[in-house]
Amino acid sequence: MPRLYLSGNEAIAYGLIQAGVRLITGYPGTPSSEIIPAAQKIVKEREITSFIDWAINEKVAYEIAHSVSLAGIKSAVTMKQVGLNVAMDPFMNSAYIGTEGGMVVVSVDDPGPHSSQTEQDSRFFAMAAKIPVFDISNVREAYEFARKAISLSQEYKIPVMLRSSTRVSHGRADVEIDEQFSIETLHPHFKTLKDWDKKLFRYASTPKGRLSLHKELNEKIEKIRLTNRPSFFFSGDMLILSSGAVFSYIYELIEEHGLENRVTLAKIDMPYPLGNLEVSSFKRVITIEETYPVIELQLNTEGRRNGIVPSEGELTPDVCEKIFVKLNLIEPKKTIHVPPLKRPSLCPGCGHRIGLFAVKKVFGKKAIYAGDIGCYTLALNFGVTDTILCMGASISFGFGFKKAYQLAGKDQDVVSIIGDSTFFHTGIQPLLDAVHYKIPFLTVILDNKTVAMTGNQKTLSDNVSSSGESVTPIEIESVIKGLGLEFLKVLDPYDYTESVRVLKKARTFIREKSLPAVVIFRHLCVNTKEGISSNPKYSVLLKKALCKGCKLCILEFECPAIHFNEKENSVEIDYTLCIGCGCCVHVCPTKAFTMDKIEEKKE
Amino acid sequence: MKLVVLGKGGQGVIFFSRMIAQAAIKKGLSVCSTEIKGMAKKGGTVEIQMKIGEGLCGLVKRGNADMVILLSNDLIDYAMTFGDRIFSFTEEDIKAALSSVSMRQVNTFLLGVFVKKTSLFKCEDFSFLDEDNKKSFIKGCEYVQS
Repeated sequence: MPRLYLSGNEAIAYGLIQAGVRLITGYPGTPSSEIIPAAQKIVKEREITSFIDWAINEKVAYEIAHSVSLAGIKSAVTMKQVGLNVAMDPFMNSAYIGTEGGMVVVSVDDPGPHSSQTEQDSRFFAMAAKIPVFDISNVREAYEFARKAISLSQEYKIPVMLRSSTRVSHGRADVEIDEQFSIETLHPHFKTLKDWDKKLFRYASTPKGRLSLHKELNEKIEKIRLTNRPSFFFSGDMLILSSGAVFSYIYELIEEHGLENRVTLAKIDMPYPLGNLEVSSFKRVITIEETYPVIELQLNTEGRRNGIVPSEGELTPDVCEKIFVKLNLIEPKKTIHVPPLKRPSLCPGCGHRIGLFAVKKVFGKKAIYAGDIGCYTLALNFGVTDTILCMGASISFGFGFKKAYQLAGKDQDVVSIIGDSTFFHTGIQPLLDAVHYKIPFLTVILDNKTVAMTGNQKTLSDNVSSSGESVTPIEIESVIKGLGLEFLKVLDPYDYTESVRVLKKARTFIREKSLPAVVIFRHLCVNTKEGISSNPKYSVLLKKALCKGCKLCILEFECPAIHFNEKENSVEIDYTLCIGCGCCVHVCPTKAFTMDKIEEKKE
Repeated sequence: MKLVVLGKGGQGVIFFSRMIAQAAIKKGLSVCSTEIKGMAKKGGTVEIQMKIGEGLCGLVKRGNADMVILLSNDLIDYAMTFGDRIFSFTEEDIKAALSSVSMRQVNTFLLGVFVKKTSLFKCEDFSFLDEDNKKSFIKGCEYVQS
């Protein structure tokens, strides 16, 4: 068996494909985004018939995967934890309906959070839906649990959640991979339309039928509960219960500090549904788990409820060590001060930066900027984002803020800012509402033709899918045109003068007509091959004598390639970062930046 | 052995950690690591914590690293939170790399420099490199010896 150095996400992909999963869909979200590309590579290399590709959002992805399972083919759906919120409706319902082919819901949590809006615990959602959940504690287990999850789902005809976390999904380890792949034939249980097993009582169940399905679900969960046994390590009179990544840290700490005779460690592979656990022989029982008290509440143990385990933040090995101090297992250590790291910024040359700089120029600092989830969230750094809630909320927030000021009888400019992929994901619906109710605010759609933040996945505007299939490209403006919106303009934000002119026109239109307007800024992501090769390239120079040291280009524009030299009270260009986009030329009030074209823009 | 590799997006942090992991795997050792590369392309830090031949997870506690490989010197204070033994390339090392091999092979040249300067690994451990990278790797090793 080959030993490969795999990430947790790659290991999940191997496990799923090997277990016979032939449809995987999902929506990109750190730290879950690499499962689908890894699975695509595995099936391509082995010429396995399958469909593995992105969906418009997690709800749609979930429904596609669930219907494929109902048709008898094993499926999986991948998302980050907040994506599960979007898929909550089908997720809750699918527990009642059940599955035919095994179906796994991969939800990747982000304790920390490192790159998420919340530290929510997907295991809690599984418990709320009465869906069994495996909690992966390391990369090798990711491979094993993916297969176990499919087989449990297949056996009990119930969706099964595979919960991972940043440390597992973005961890790596040497994993022994079995090259035996399931070769079961891909016949849906309805080989012909006539054979489609209608099972209406299940697939099209009315509220009355749902009651009996709920009973059936409870019976399934009870059976699974009885088979769910933790494994025990070491032998002390204090019992620590754990699951997921944090189990590995606790295990290592017990060995490191020689606590094998003082602590018994119970590893729970499946935190829901938990079986009864006999704990009367232990002096104390404490649960240490990320990030919410799922095991603790089910088994009524110590942990977060008595302040031993922190209620927020990642339980890193360093934090776990502090928990051990609280449990009087070890002596306190000297705390190491960790200096803060530099905050991230939009890339040099990013079209979002100059586009949003123009928006700020026209709408001013008093406008409300309702932001969204994507790279452009970083416009927060230079004052063009006032709110960030969740995917698609920029447009609903634009609606709400404008309406609030209308109700109060006050003028207020409101601008919603959303990326192309986020617009497709959940931005379309609120725009329909805004058009329907004639809410006068501007929506700026930043279209870089990619899901940049999560690693440049393809969007619906592409004509080739990420698995290489020919697909129908969907243009944002054609979707919006269908709404009958009067003011819709598409332009390249690199044309700064034109951007300012169009934005001023939009402002006048909104104020005079009292209707919504949309401006689409289209500029390819410079972080893609196509984007960087087609980007205009100038020789950008700084005339130091003209720089007055006002720092406007740093504070209000924040290009990482522009640094401030305190000694000289002047900025300087870092040519190791500058891509010669020339956007800064429009920004400097004293015209200290100049640019000369050195290369014709390639078409 | 507990290692931390630190730097910024585009500096080869991930490349370095993977080459080291491959070398350890070839020697039959277990490797676990964790990568934090949140928004690396946007100037953020890339941080790899790695355990070789020990442990269940890749995370390294503060103050516990046997070595920190630092590719971006402005992160020195942060690097020191993991341990005192810091390895970083000198300006001469980087100049030598840039003048000896093509841009694409700079990282393998520096890998050779690292292997020779630290003696955590042997040159033979990196026999899995392809032809071009191997040549540049050997040049890096020879540069240190000369």
